[in-house]
Amino acid sequence: MITQRLFTGGSNRRVLVTALVLAAVAVLVPVLHLALPPSSPFHVPAYMVALVGKYLTYALLALALDLVWGYCGILSLGHGAFFALGGYAMGMYLMRQIGDRGVYGNPILPDFMVFLNWKELPWFWYGFDQFWFAAIMIVLAPGALAFVFGWFAFRSRVTGVYLSIITQALTYALLLAFFRNDMGFGGNNGLTDFKDILGFNVQAPETRAGLFAASALALALALLITSAITRSKYGMLMVAVRDAESRTRFIGWRPENIKVFAFTISAVMAGIAGALYVPQVGIINPGEFAPANSIEVVVWTAVGGRGTLVGPIIGALLVNGGKSWFTGILPEYWLFALGGLFIAVTLFLPKGIIGTWDSWRASRRDAAERARTKAEEDAAPPPVDPATGRPVRVEETPRAPSPGLSGGPAPQPAE
Amino acid sequence: MSKSGTILYLDGVSVSFDGFRAINNLSLVLDRGEMRAIIGPNGAGKTTMMDIITGKTRPDAGEVYFDGTIDLTKHDEADIAMMGIGRKFQKPTVFESHTVEDNLVLALAGPRSIFPALFHRRSKAESEHIDEILATIRLEARRNDLAANLSHGQKQWLEIGMLLAQDPKLLLVDEPVAGMTDAETEETARLLKDIAKTHSVVVVEHDMHFVRELGVKVTCLHEGAVLSEGTLDHVSADDRVIEVYLGR
Amino acid sequence: MTVLRVLFVLVGLALSGAASAQVDDEAIRATIARFADSKNFRETEEIVRDLAATGDVRVERPLSALSDGNLSFRKSDRQVFIAPERGQTATLFDPLTGEAAGEAPKGDFTKVKVNNSLRRTIRDVISGLTLASPDPVVRLAAARTMFIAPDAANLEALDAAIAAETVTSVKISLEAARASTILVSDAPDAAKFDAIALLGQRGDRETLSLLTGFAARSQGDLQAAAQRAIDTIGKSLALWDIGQNIWYGISLGSVLLLAAIGLAITFGVMGVINMAHGEMVMIGAYTTFVVQSVIRSSFPGLFDWSLTIALPLAFLVAGAVGLALERGVIRFLYGRPLETLLATWGVSLILQQAVRTIFGPTNQEVGNPSWMSGGFQIGQLALTWNRLWIVVFALAVFGLLLYIFKRTAWGLQMRAVTANRRMASSMGIRTPWVDAFTFALGSGIAGIAGVALSQIDNVSPNLGQGYIIDSFMVVVFGGVGNLWGTLVGAFSLGIVNKFLEPYAGAVLGKILVLVLIILFIQKRPRGLFALKGRSVEA
Repeated sequence: MITQRLFTGGSNRRVLVTALVLAAVAVLVPVLHLALPPSSPFHVPAYMVALVGKYLTYALLALALDLVWGYCGILSLGHGAFFALGGYAMGMYLMRQIGDRGVYGNPILPDFMVFLNWKELPWFWYGFDQFWFAAIMIVLAPGALAFVFGWFAFRSRVTGVYLSIITQALTYALLLAFFRNDMGFGGNNGLTDFKDILGFNVQAPETRAGLFAASALALALALLITSAITRSKYGMLMVAVRDAESRTRFIGWRPENIKVFAFTISAVMAGIAGALYVPQVGIINPGEFAPANSIEVVVWTAVGGRGTLVGPIIGALLVNGGKSWFTGILPEYWLFALGGLFIAVTLFLPKGIIGTWDSWRASRRDAAERARTKAEEDAAPPPVDPATGRPVRVEETPRAPSPGLSGGPAPQPAE
Repeated sequence: MSKSGTILYLDGVSVSFDGFRAINNLSLVLDRGEMRAIIGPNGAGKTTMMDIITGKTRPDAGEVYFDGTIDLTKHDEADIAMMGIGRKFQKPTVFESHTVEDNLVLALAGPRSIFPALFHRRSKAESEHIDEILATIRLEARRNDLAANLSHGQKQWLEIGMLLAQDPKLLLVDEPVAGMTDAETEETARLLKDIAKTHSVVVVEHDMHFVRELGVKVTCLHEGAVLSEGTLDHVSADDRVIEVYLGR
Repeated sequence: MTVLRVLFVLVGLALSGAASAQVDDEAIRATIARFADSKNFRETEEIVRDLAATGDVRVERPLSALSDGNLSFRKSDRQVFIAPERGQTATLFDPLTGEAAGEAPKGDFTKVKVNNSLRRTIRDVISGLTLASPDPVVRLAAARTMFIAPDAANLEALDAAIAAETVTSVKISLEAARASTILVSDAPDAAKFDAIALLGQRGDRETLSLLTGFAARSQGDLQAAAQRAIDTIGKSLALWDIGQNIWYGISLGSVLLLAAIGLAITFGVMGVINMAHGEMVMIGAYTTFVVQSVIRSSFPGLFDWSLTIALPLAFLVAGAVGLALERGVIRFLYGRPLETLLATWGVSLILQQAVRTIFGPTNQEVGNPSWMSGGFQIGQLALTWNRLWIVVFALAVFGLLLYIFKRTAWGLQMRAVTANRRMASSMGIRTPWVDAFTFALGSGIAGIAGVALSQIDNVSPNLGQGYIIDSFMVVVFGGVGNLWGTLVGAFSLGIVNKFLEPYAGAVLGKILVLVLIILFIQKRPRGLFALKGRSVEA
């Protein structure tokens, strides 16, 4: 209906508003943190800056997942792997910046290598003393992995739950690999004890504020870019592949290319999120590869509403805020709450917060419009609910969840 | 048999799934510009034949040539679609969360790679072409509606419209009038006859009334092979066809 | 066996003790007393040899104590005791009889000093003594000791023992010990060739290292002969190694089969990815724990029956949880596999945390019944009973499921629903009913898998997490909707895993397997035993 157009217009406006809010937060929070004295009621305490900064990188990760899951129908249970790879690339840069200030005082080798009796830097650590190199690797490492993995998986038409399981196996394999000491990434303990980033002390309030602003701006920028991607013809193709892959194929497109591109872009976004995450929390270890982490990202996205771009951001902030609050008062019950959230969202809120809000508004507007047309035709008053005085909502959407918002194609029990 | 002058040439094609022979030594030739109706009971191999032509299924044996020169068994679905074979599925398949117009935009002939799609701006020529197709399939009034909200018959038309947008040389149309009202069926027959003026078309259909309305050469398939070929009257007078359809 | 051994010991004691014990006692005690006056290791060694010369088996006690550093004498009266120390006190025992003799402050005693060469002497002396023991088990042990650590001085004792030996298995060991002793002695080369030939027949790892050591210090023909024997043993060991790896692989495969087969059923029949499947396994393991706790506290005599009791209970408990899960959550999500995956993940988090809250986060102790502990050896193949029983059990479960699927009405209905849900439903099969009970069956099987796994793995709330990805890999690899695929998938993954481990290490081996599966799916996206044809992608 006509609401469809309004609806996309609405979501576009929502993206702009969110991006502006993020930009404002990027400026305001650091200012309120640095310029105001701790006694001021408007002062943002340091722990808050660190906490929200971390959430913003999570939101970026959720946004990345939304691009592949919400728009392309690829439920990746391994996005935490790309996040962690970006994080490790940043961590390696930060390790090299420690220089001879480590416990063992070795100017070249990080502490854990000295501890393991390594004599020289492994080749894959070369170049990480330069930020520009690390920055390239932050993009390249997750991107290349996603490209190769996606190329293999999508070309052989692995779809649906099969693909999800394989992505989970991917991050699980990386988890095992990074736990090994002889991989050269610090094994169990990962990389930590960072000192400087770009010459600034990572612990300094100014640096923290800067990292916060960078995270908020990166998120805003990523939001605008993904929004542009999804509104392009390519974005329409992603949805087409999600809803009817074989139709797309039979009109001459190659769904595997469309998917690989989306998967790679998404992995790069996840990698950047990881790179911003690491200096703010001060550590990266193999635990970030745990399959449970990746699947948690899925629930952030689902809570906010997949395929809505802004939804996953809200979902990530809400769920993680809830987690911090919950673990503060009832730590042992958090897993109950998280598990319940998984069930509740899939059963009762399959479109997520934003998606449900949108369809509620759309159906209201449709009902109102139909009522108005009818009124004009019949010159009779629109049907009004006697209890509320509102126009009666007319059920129009099909009973099955609209394919626009539900995950894959029709039921395929064999898969 | 010469391949030149043919748009579609199948010779001795066989394929089996787990020992079941879905297509058994099938030979079929379609001339350029011809429209052909294919009939046959359930399980006769009609859809599998389409799968072979469009590259979804690889035959175990036999030759499949398009346009006299292109060996279709060496290409995949997307390649074959780009060479100019359009296919409409048995179950109408359109992009339900896109508008009618966007469905056509995606099907429109043009480059099929990522970056042009990413920075695509619709040209005036494209817009005009889309208007044209919308007029042909009689969906102008619903161009901005979601495809999901179309009726069953309208989805069938939209799918045919998408084939037209693709500008193929050969159209494979699987059961285009299933679930349509009589009026819609007549309308569809007129539409297909119209299309057949400029394209080669293969129509698979159960509805004899519709096939009669098309008024073209008919091929009857049974157990993966051609049972009878000729005018509808000729085919329906064939004893073997009657036996297959009515049983003994 | 045990009874026999006790008998032997008793008879031995009667023979050696009754006749000469009283007479010799004083002499032995006098010799032991000399330890208090020993000035250096050489003197101590002399005393050790004198003790051995008595030929009395009982001197093993003070000698062992000396070797362990527990032999001390009281400073006041220079009386020798076995006096192990704990903290500031020493517990005293009579050096000959081992009778307790009270406690005393540690400061009152001086230890008899011992060094490694002395320890070696003591070990050799003891084995020489025990060669004469009337108990064949003791003689066997002595032969083994002499075989591993040969000493030329033992040669005569060995010859005598071989001549007197009546038990064949002991005699074989004694001859091997003699051969290994000859190799370290200055016996003529001919005898050494014979010894090498004899050892070459054995083919175990100890012989291999023995011969390797010999080859290193010998020359010429002897070295060549030893080298040939080493090669023969190496080849036969390599074969045994392959056998052992296959066994480890089968063992791992049976574990994977148990964990994956329930998943294969729910995934195959219903297209449902149950991420809480691992937790069903965990519930089964905890059921075993509860059953054993009750038995331990109330009916200790029934402990060997604990697993038999736990099996049906675990099936029922896990099956009931599965039924509740299907009725409460999954049935609302049919046709939405990805959502099902998420919801069941949520269920798995809740179940894990629930178990953690009830039982605590630490590992729970689940014991092996006697018939599942220990192991045995076939040639160079080491088998343990618990692993063997799990293989048998896994195959039994597989056979039972196959029977249910192929021979019962319920199985027919399940297969019908797998093949075509809509058609089955219109044929009058109540698909919701089939779904619910299939899910309960799959969960119940996971529960009994948990009983088996409790025998070889730590029972903790994370038990299930360790198996879930592996189980999925098995199902994906084997192909959906085919029990045989699961069987072949489980065993081939198990064996490949164990063959990669020696070359790549456990972790890297696992990673390699994952990568191999990802590559395999390139070739066969629907697994080893995939359903083919038009219906698949319809």
